[in-house]
Amino acid sequence: MERNEIKALLVKYNAGQASAEEVNILEKYIEAGVIDLSELQELQVIGEQIMQLEVPAPSLQLDDNFYQMLAQEKKSQLNSFSWKKFFAWPEMLPRLAFASVTLLAGLAIGYWVRPQASEGTANNGQIAELSQQVTDLKEMMMLSLLEKESATDRLKAVSLTQEMDQVSTKVTRALFETLNNDSNVNVRLAALDALKPYARESSVREELIRSIAKQESPLVQVELAEMMAALQEKSSVKELEKLLQQQNTAKEVKQKIRETIQVLI
Amino acid sequence: MDALTDNALMLKVRDGDLDKMSLLFERYKKPLFGFFYHMNKDAELSEDLVQNVFLRILKYRYLFRGDGDFRTWMFHIARNVSHDHFRKNKIAAKDSLETWQDRLGSDENRSSGIQREEEMHLLSMAMDRLPEDKREILVLSKFQDKKYKEIGEILGCTEGAVKVKVFRALQELKEMYQKLETRY
Repeated sequence: MERNEIKALLVKYNAGQASAEEVNILEKYIEAGVIDLSELQELQVIGEQIMQLEVPAPSLQLDDNFYQMLAQEKKSQLNSFSWKKFFAWPEMLPRLAFASVTLLAGLAIGYWVRPQASEGTANNGQIAELSQQVTDLKEMMMLSLLEKESATDRLKAVSLTQEMDQVSTKVTRALFETLNNDSNVNVRLAALDALKPYARESSVREELIRSIAKQESPLVQVELAEMMAALQEKSSVKELEKLLQQQNTAKEVKQKIRETIQVLI
Repeated sequence: MDALTDNALMLKVRDGDLDKMSLLFERYKKPLFGFFYHMNKDAELSEDLVQNVFLRILKYRYLFRGDGDFRTWMFHIARNVSHDHFRKNKIAAKDSLETWQDRLGSDENRSSGIQREEEMHLLSMAMDRLPEDKREILVLSKFQDKKYKEIGEILGCTEGAVKVKVFRALQELKEMYQKLETRY
């Protein structure tokens, strides 16, 4: 439709003579933006008229109600905990920062604590080394004490071996030396007593058997005989018989030895 | 001045600064009241509905994203409040239609004076008799001083469709007015 025809249609409509069909066409032009609503004079007049319709002003009650509601809402906002707020960035940021700092601190502490743990095993090694050194010292002291002239010192030396849980062959050899050659019977007896725990070793037992013939003191002889019986050491019989044949062996000792041989055979 | 735009204020409200809500209230209480008043001609009810709109704005403030216009959003809510009210009061509305004749009679007596006043009165009555959707579009386009495009956003239709709706509403209003004019 040409512009002239549209104008004619507008004139017809404004005059109030447009048919329903023509009104439909008019609507299409309005929708497409070809005809502006202001071109429809009569409607324009009534449109302007309704703009003059009066509206009363809202009362103060409206303001009162609104501000009351706002105060209420502010109150409940303060009291309420919301997850949304909890996860909001401004709230979340310090929390995350704190969490990461704590994590890093934890990692750092862990890092510093770890080497100390491995140092612990090193400490254990050091302790073992130290205790070994102490044992060595004790051995040295014992050996040197055994050389002393005083019987008390030598007794002390023998008793030192009882404090050691594990003795070296050097120590047992020194003890046998004392058992066989010491001038004091008490020291010899003490040495024999100190050797008792090591009698399980065959070398120690053999040495003990060999020691039987070398003893002159009846006390030591009896002690040895009892020990052989306790150990059930059959190979000691030969040595014990040697003692029986010796003339200077005391009667009581011979009696004891016979009993021992009886037990062993 | 950017801090004082509707959108900036509403975003602050959304983020917890509820005091900014009062600025928006002062700005829009009259337009909203006018909208409701033209829809129901009841000042007290209109005040309640305005209050309802702001209550909903506060309640659903976290839904405001700030990418659209605040006024469009607000009138969206206002329309919903208005529709909810009419739906709830359908039976009551029928009752008020029955009493309408009485109201009309007394109003008629009062307005018998100056011709212009009578014209305005007839026009107001014609408005009241329009269907709700037609009355709404006239209120939005004529009283709220809204562009057709903006109304389209509120109603969810194109600018052209809004123009046609306004055209039909005005045409029906005119017919209604003429009918009333011949009667009284």
